[in-house]
Amino acid sequence: MTDVYVIGAGIIPFARHEASSLTDLSVEAAYQAIKDSGIVPHRIDSGYFASVLGGRLFGDSTLGQSVFAEVGISGGPIVNIENACASGSSAVCLAYNALSAGQSDYAIVVGAEKMCVPGLGLLNSGESDIETKLGLVTPASFALRAQRHMYEFGTTLEQMAQVSVKNRRHAAANPIAFFRQPVTLEEVLNAPMITDPLTRPQCCPMADGAAALVLASGSAISNNKRAIKINAAVLTSGSYQNPIDLVRWETDQRSCRLAYEKAGMGPDDLDLVECHDAFTIAEIIHYEALGLCEVGEGGRLVAEGATSLGGRIPVNVSGGLIGRGHPVAATGVAQIVEVVAQLRGEAKERQVDGAKVGLAHCMGADRQGDARSCTVAILSS
Amino acid sequence: MPARLKENTAPEAGATELLPPVQEGIFSLPAAGETGGPRLMGGYCRACERYHFPRERHCHRCLGPVEAADLGDSGVIYSFTAVRAKPPLGLPQPYAVGFVDLAANGLRVFALLDPDCVDHFKIGAPVILAVKPLGHDGKGRPCLRPYFTLQQHPAESEA
Repeated sequence: MTDVYVIGAGIIPFARHEASSLTDLSVEAAYQAIKDSGIVPHRIDSGYFASVLGGRLFGDSTLGQSVFAEVGISGGPIVNIENACASGSSAVCLAYNALSAGQSDYAIVVGAEKMCVPGLGLLNSGESDIETKLGLVTPASFALRAQRHMYEFGTTLEQMAQVSVKNRRHAAANPIAFFRQPVTLEEVLNAPMITDPLTRPQCCPMADGAAALVLASGSAISNNKRAIKINAAVLTSGSYQNPIDLVRWETDQRSCRLAYEKAGMGPDDLDLVECHDAFTIAEIIHYEALGLCEVGEGGRLVAEGATSLGGRIPVNVSGGLIGRGHPVAATGVAQIVEVVAQLRGEAKERQVDGAKVGLAHCMGADRQGDARSCTVAILSS
Repeated sequence: MPARLKENTAPEAGATELLPPVQEGIFSLPAAGETGGPRLMGGYCRACERYHFPRERHCHRCLGPVEAADLGDSGVIYSFTAVRAKPPLGLPQPYAVGFVDLAANGLRVFALLDPDCVDHFKIGAPVILAVKPLGHDGKGRPCLRPYFTLQQHPAESEA
């Protein structure tokens, strides 16, 4: 096993990019990451490209080869990846595995999505899926967890809304975030209901965007002082237990535990977390799965400010999906771009003081009350 | 049995029988002349003594053969939500979905809930299966969907 490092990171603003194609967005992020890495592109010998909706919305296929050719990368293995919301982070895991096994010296990963198009509607987990046919949409799958969390643990509407308030406040300090305006608790609670009890600001906004990373094996980084080590990068899938427990999320807990084991670390070692706050309740349940607090205590953790910038364990200082926006396949890469910026000490006004260890957590799609894909990566400076 | 259930599942005009189900094999309707309501249908593996919904092609545990199984028509609500945003598949706005713990075997199944009761569901409430034309099949063609409705309809409980 060879050590693996991030040596380059790139990200474009998460926004409505009406005049740009999916390829335009992807190439720009890839260009930034390669420039940031300081290496010449022809040394990058493998590539991983993630997009969820490119095929469906624009008829694209094997777009990775086109994107990477535009930045001077060709000849080696290139793979196109779809794993729902965890597509980008799944791509990072595949790159990590190849480098770790000594099959590549440098790899590029791009996650990109263009989804601000008319009539897309609420996302689901595939049109041929039985649950989709019976009316499941992604916000509902998390609303069902929220209802149950409130019922079992007394989690309140205000506590859930605090996740939006915090992440929108964080996003206001992130120049690439979709939302740059903070919101108040009252605004979150009084906004239109999407699916009970989640109001609109408690659901992440769709956005166009792209993020990219250049990874290097330990033997290839020489004296790169800005290299950030990847201590663990795990990819799992759901276990689809029946009866499923919607609030003690076995797949979430198992994935976090596996990453901690591989990194030889635990929750007390973390200085910051980027997690998959597609909806406010998701962030609360992920606190519990990550061991930042006991199961059932997530609502209180956010309400007491522990997960705000300046708190005990800041979560989603980038703004998270709720503040930064959620161009689906870009998200998992963007989370690691943020962790890298923090661990390099380059996050400016949203910098977590003295950050040495960061974790990025991402999840994708629903099946029988479970997630289909889950990734957890731990990085250190 | 609530009057609405009969009305939903055995219409005089016979329109219900002519519409296809949203997916084959997930429920059964009483044959002409039979009494009773619709039943949720799934699968059963004899070797593992395990029920599942929807029916698996092969048992997910032993890859052995599975047979069609009647999963009953009742359960209690484990969780529920009303979807108030623009609905997919021509469903009503708002509509409701949830997980139901089936009385017959303890399976926890995702289900549509009665769109006429969106503001009356509670965790733990007893529910019973119904079937009626609800929404379309994704290509604009009307179809039958199974859904759970409250065993005690709010109008009856208030009366």
